[in-house]
Amino acid sequence: MSVIEYDVIVIGAGVAGLTAGTLLAGQGLNVALVTAGEPTACLSTGCVDVCSQNENPLQGIANLPDLHPFHLVSSETILQALTDFQQVMTDMNIPYTGTLEKNRQVISAIGTFKTTCLTPLTMESSPQSIDEKIQIVTFTGLKDFYPSYIISRLQNASFSTYDARVSTTMGIAAKFEDDAFLEAFISWLENLNISADKIAVPAVLGLESATAIMKRIASRLKRPVFEIPTIPPSMPGRRLFNALKDHFRSKGGVIYWGWPVVGVEKAGRLIEAVTAESRGRPNSLNARAFVLATGSFVGGGLHAERDTIVEPVFGLPVHVPSQREGWFDQDYFSANHGIGQAGIMVDTSFRAVGCPWDNIFVCGAILAHTEALKNGCGHGFAMTTGHAAARSCLEYLQ
Amino acid sequence: MKYEHCIRCTICVENCPVFRVNPEFPGPKQSGPDAQRFRSDGKKSVDDWVLLCSQCKRCEMACPCGVEPAQIILRAQQKYGLEHPHTAAHLLFANNYYLSTLGSMTAPLANRVAATKIGKKIFQRLGIATYIPFPKFSFKTLRQEKKTRNREVRKVAFFYGCFINFYRPDIGRKIIQILQSLRIDVVLPSQWCCGLPALGNGNLALARSFAAKNVASLSNYIDAGYDVVYTCTSCGLCLLHDYQGIMEIPGAKKIAENSYNVHEYVLKLIAEQEIKPAFKEVNRTLAYHIPCHLRALEIGYPAANLLRLIPSLQCRILDDACCGLNGSYGFKKINEATALQLGGRAVSLIKKTGAEAIVADCGSCRMQLSGLSGMEAFDPAEIIYESLGIKV
Ligand SMILES: Cc1cc2nc3c(=O)[nH]c(=O)nc-3n(C[C@H](O)[C@H](O)[C@H](O)COP(=O)(O)OP(=O)(O)OC[C@H]3O[C@@H](n4cnc5c(N)ncnc54)[C@H](O)[C@@H]3O)c2cc1C
Ligand code: SF4
Ligand code: SF4
Repeated sequence: MSVIEYDVIVIGAGVAGLTAGTLLAGQGLNVALVTAGEPTACLSTGCVDVCSQNENPLQGIANLPDLHPFHLVSSETILQALTDFQQVMTDMNIPYTGTLEKNRQVISAIGTFKTTCLTPLTMESSPQSIDEKIQIVTFTGLKDFYPSYIISRLQNASFSTYDARVSTTMGIAAKFEDDAFLEAFISWLENLNISADKIAVPAVLGLESATAIMKRIASRLKRPVFEIPTIPPSMPGRRLFNALKDHFRSKGGVIYWGWPVVGVEKAGRLIEAVTAESRGRPNSLNARAFVLATGSFVGGGLHAERDTIVEPVFGLPVHVPSQREGWFDQDYFSANHGIGQAGIMVDTSFRAVGCPWDNIFVCGAILAHTEALKNGCGHGFAMTTGHAAARSCLEYLQ
Repeated sequence: MKYEHCIRCTICVENCPVFRVNPEFPGPKQSGPDAQRFRSDGKKSVDDWVLLCSQCKRCEMACPCGVEPAQIILRAQQKYGLEHPHTAAHLLFANNYYLSTLGSMTAPLANRVAATKIGKKIFQRLGIATYIPFPKFSFKTLRQEKKTRNREVRKVAFFYGCFINFYRPDIGRKIIQILQSLRIDVVLPSQWCCGLPALGNGNLALARSFAAKNVASLSNYIDAGYDVVYTCTSCGLCLLHDYQGIMEIPGAKKIAENSYNVHEYVLKLIAEQEIKPAFKEVNRTLAYHIPCHLRALEIGYPAANLLRLIPSLQCRILDDACCGLNGSYGFKKINEATALQLGGRAVSLIKKTGAEAIVADCGSCRMQLSGLSGMEAFDPAEIIYESLGIKV
């Protein structure tokens, strides 16, 4: 068994785990992040939802039910977490725009409006009403983007199609990193003699240089250009993940990929190590404290069995809403499935209620009563609780 | 294979380097779990495009549901290999070990022929790409090395692999000296190609015959109290994962349990307070290109952890790009365009860091990246050797 000693091990590479890990590594601690796979952020629009229940996210949070874990953190902490995030993204050349006082609208790949708080700069000019004059550009063969749906919902929009010679989101994004491709695209746009006020493109403007590419097109075409997030594979989600990951590493953090934690070693009131299954030796990593950020059902942090829901890593007590009949709403697309309440209940120190160990801190979508879909508590919630759990962990270690 | 665990999230697709640049390849989700539904009756044959998968395993590392698309595709590639005659390039690369033995025996001549126009023409006719020079054979391979002296702390059997043996035995010697300087006894057991090139070229039977011989040889050393260390990340992946997995070699579990990446081994001994290497400063700025197969080993990046202990060394980790060569994959004419585009991207990420040289554990990554960038590319062991200031 290979044994390595860290100060903190974070389990899960989602927005919550990466935020917590970065804060701890930034304090000079020796932090390792272990993850089974890539997080839900890669599937997301890249926009940061804080609370989409109200025009003002902070007001929305105040109105959330009493048991919602957002009430465990102060508004100062929320502000701090989001400000830190914006700073990081600026440093990583993927600046975000927006404020905690007001939510904004972003148009989706099917022309609906999504309410969110912070958006990548490449979506800053997304229309705020249905009558804005917009020229949409799509790409030959691209399947994850639906311009005809969009123009059926916007009153003054039309679309043209560009042949990029590849037809996948990733493929087109990779081409945009090439200067000659970008120039050819810009010339084509210039020849369209666009009269609309804004130009929209699916979110394929490069793998990591999106902001610069967007600005270059905008300055040449002399009008705002914005990205519309596609259904997954989603470039803005991947850019968000990559930036957070690279930033964590720049603080000295270490990442173990393909490391699904399957076992733990305990001693009294402490967890001493986590182990991962490998076809070679079982691998074990020691630490003084652990942050559990394995997400909800999609991330793999919660697992539903016939009549119960389990947390597979530490076997922490899971809050299970009612009987199985109450888990699902009749309407498949409802945001109100009871199962959205399932998860780990924590106290103000972000330790799980009823947990027999003192050195585990829990954050992100795995928390009970989050109801991410219903309340629009996405990345913003994950980074806030990640930040708060890390602070609590830091206090414990000192 | 857990293809039915797939939730169709497309995270694997986002991570597939080949899918990004080659429109002919439908990507890990479609070639893996999706197509497997149709193949699982055993009757339906597999499509040609399974050969376009480079087996970089990035899809597997990214999948949040443990589906292992690359493993599903690897099995499809073996099925393809059984159903179709092997091309010249596939045969050559599967048998690379025997060819290399011949090549190193006649090194000066073999190298000269490979570098000539005619040599290149022959390569091209055989379906082999020539955009970077073929690696040079070394006359004095590692396996001709003498036995080493006894040391106290631990004893290891070194699985050096073909690349080090035939092309860069100097790196192998440095690794031996590093271990010896840390008071570790090193022996060079009888060994053959790990089998990965044969597997990657659809020749499971040949791969298994190499593997069985290696397992027998290494087992003897393990029984005598040796740990096995390997340096090539692809050999390591094969020893630890494929011997037990697709190859089903009896006794493979013992090998997996007792084999370590050389840097992982050093870190382990440091953690156990058995050794205390004295790293001296190294004034270099490096970009550490993480080989796909190191990532796939699921052991973290042990050499990076060691390099962090070296004073003054600046080392940026880059693990998002595949170099494109993937062992013999990029040497095949049909994959040349893919390999070049991926290599170009990896190089541009490296150049952005402002590093003066590249470091990578894998010989074929180094060949590709230094060939395309004109930069020097080191094995991490070379940097560690420099830092330890070993005097021979
Ligand atoms: C399809 C989809 C789209 C979304 N779109 C948006 C959006 O546009 N905007 C927004 O703000 N929010 C969005 N969300 C919600 C948002 O993604 C999440 O609420 C938030 O990012 C959760 O982050 P997390 O870090 O808690 O967990 P996750 O992102 O779920 O990450 C969990 C991590 O833990 C790892 N893990 C799980 N089990 C183990 C184990 N045993 N061992 C090791 N590692 C393990 C996983 O591999 C993963 O890396 C979306 C969610 C989904 C599913
Ligand atoms: S194989 Fe894994 S990563 Fe790929 S689509 Fe299926 S669940 Fe997602
Ligand atoms: S192994 Fe690599 S090339 Fe093959 S499907 Fe997976 S990611 Fe793509």
